[in-house]
Amino acid sequence: MENSSQESHLRSDNSVTYESPYTVYAMAVSSTPSPTNLSHQSIALGSFLEDYSNRVDIISFDPDTVSVKTHPTLSFDHPYPPTKLMFQPNRKSSSSSSSSDILASSGDYLRLWEVRESSIEPLSVLNNSKTSEFCAPLTSFDWNDVEPKRIGTSSIDTTCTIWDIEKGVVETQLIAHDKEVYDIAWGEARVFASVSADGSVRIFDLRDKEHSTIIYESPQPDTPLLRLAWNKQDLKYMATIQMDSNKVVILDIRSPTMPVAELERHQASVNAITWSPQSSKHICSAGDDTQALIWELPTVAGPNGIDPLCVYSAGAEINQLQWSAAQPDWIAIAFSNKMQFLKV
Amino acid sequence: MGGVAWSKEEDDLLKRCVERYGEGKWHRIPVLAGLNRCRKSCRLRWLNYLCPNIKRGSYAEDEVDLIIKLHSLLGNKWSLIAGRLPGRTANDVKNYWNCHLSKKLVNARQTEHQASINVENPPNIAAATGSTKHRKSDHVSPNNQSKTEEKTIMWMPLHDVDVDQWCQDLANGEDSHPGVEDLADGLTAAATNHQFGQFDEGGSSNKWDWDDSIFDMDLWT
Repeated sequence: MENSSQESHLRSDNSVTYESPYTVYAMAVSSTPSPTNLSHQSIALGSFLEDYSNRVDIISFDPDTVSVKTHPTLSFDHPYPPTKLMFQPNRKSSSSSSSSDILASSGDYLRLWEVRESSIEPLSVLNNSKTSEFCAPLTSFDWNDVEPKRIGTSSIDTTCTIWDIEKGVVETQLIAHDKEVYDIAWGEARVFASVSADGSVRIFDLRDKEHSTIIYESPQPDTPLLRLAWNKQDLKYMATIQMDSNKVVILDIRSPTMPVAELERHQASVNAITWSPQSSKHICSAGDDTQALIWELPTVAGPNGIDPLCVYSAGAEINQLQWSAAQPDWIAIAFSNKMQFLKV
Repeated sequence: MGGVAWSKEEDDLLKRCVERYGEGKWHRIPVLAGLNRCRKSCRLRWLNYLCPNIKRGSYAEDEVDLIIKLHSLLGNKWSLIAGRLPGRTANDVKNYWNCHLSKKLVNARQTEHQASINVENPPNIAAATGSTKHRKSDHVSPNNQSKTEEKTIMWMPLHDVDVDQWCQDLANGEDSHPGVEDLADGLTAAATNHQFGQFDEGGSSNKWDWDDSIFDMDLWT
C-alpha cells in the first residue's frame, strides 16, 4: 500500500526509494564501487518469500544524483530466503584483476557468487555435512575484514563454523552455545563473538578453542538474543538486542555481565542495529515501531537514559539496516518490499 | 583394523616417555622411548588410551543424554560432540554410540514413525508440515519467532502518520502527537541537558524527516 503523501516529504536529495517486486529482508552494500560505474555503489537485495525459490537482485545507487538503477541481468535465484548477504569487505578497487565483486549469502549453506559487469556466476557452495541428512540452516555469517579469506557462520545446530573460503574448507567448527546461534561477528582476525537463543553473548578466540568468555546474559534466563554488532571503530563495545524487546543493549567487553547502556526509546521490538562505520560513538537501530533511530553514546549518561539524536519514520516495520563504510553519509533501510537510502 | 595390539611393556615405555618429555614432537617419541612404533601410532595411543585425563567408567546418564541430543543435532561429528564431554575422546564416543545407542535409537525412531502414521489426525499433519516449512524461516525473522504459529503476512502497512506535522512538532519541542510523547520530551530534555553539548533544535525550515540541523554539524571528526 503506497503511502504517497509520505513519499512527498522525502526531499529528493535526501533519500531515494527502490520498490522491489517482493518483500526484502537481506541487504548488502558493496565496499567497492560498482563495476559498471565507479561513482555508483552496488546493493544486493534478497527476497523473503516463504518458499524454496527466492531471488537476489543487484541494484546500483548513485549518491550524486540520488537515484537507483536496476540491472535485470544482475539477478539470480537463491534457494530459501537468504538470511544474510554480504559483499567482500575492503576489496582494493582498481589495481588487480577483476572488474568483479564477490557476494556471499547464507541460507541452507554458505554460497559465494561472483558479481561481474553483466552477469552473476555462482562460485561455490560451502557445505560441511558429509551426508545429505544433516543440513542445518545458517542464521547469519560475518566476513572477517582483517583476514578476508575467513568467514564465520552461525547455525541453528548450536555451532559456529569458520571457513577458509580460498581453499573452500572448514578451518574449524565449534559448538558455540547450548541452543541455536542467531548471529556472529568478528572482532579481530581470530576473535569472534556470537549470540544465541540461550541468551548469552560469548567471545571465542581461535587460538584457544576450548574456552569461550560469556560477556553478557539476558536477565530473564533463556531469552534469546537475536543480533550482535561489534563496534569496528572501538572494539571494546558491542551492541545486542533481545527477542521482542524494544531495548538496544550496549556492552563493554571489559566489564562482563553489566551493560554500559540500554537504549530504550523504540516503541516496539528492535530488529536491526548497526554501528557507524566512521564514528565510534554512533549507532543506528531500527524496529517494528517503523522508526530508525541514530544514537550518540555520551561518556556519561543522564538520569533518564540516553535519547536518540534523530529519528526517521518509514512507512512500515523496518527489518534491515546497513550503514556502509563505502557510503558513510547514507543509511540503507529495508521495510516491506522497499529499500531506502537516507542521507545522514 | 590392521596392526598389533599394544603390550603392557610398550604402554609403560610410551607413558613414561610422554610424562618425561611432554606431548608434541611426536616424531621423536618412538626413538626416545625405544619403541618400534610409528609416531602416529604413539600419538593416538596416548590420546585415546594412556592419557590420565581420560574417563574410563561407564557413561553416566547425563553423558548419554548429551550424546543423544548432540548426535541428533550434529550427526556423526564425533570430535565436536566429544568436545562437550570432558574426559571422553572422540573415538570413545563414536564407539559408545555404535555399540550401544545407535541400534536402540534407530529402532525407537522407526516405531515412533510407524505410530504417527497410523494415527488418524489430519490437522496435526498439516500443522507439522506447516511448522517444518516455517522452521527455515523461523530464524530469518527473529521478531516473529513462534514455532507453532502459522505466519501469514509478515509486515502490515501502518496507519497514516502525519509525518510532516510530527517533525515540525518535534523541532518546536511540542509533544502534540500522542504516540511520540516520550521522544519529543526526550529531545527537548536532551537539548537542555548540558552533557549533550551541542544540541541545536533548529526548528527553522524543518520539513525533512531527519533533524537536518543537527546533522549539519560535523558529528564525526
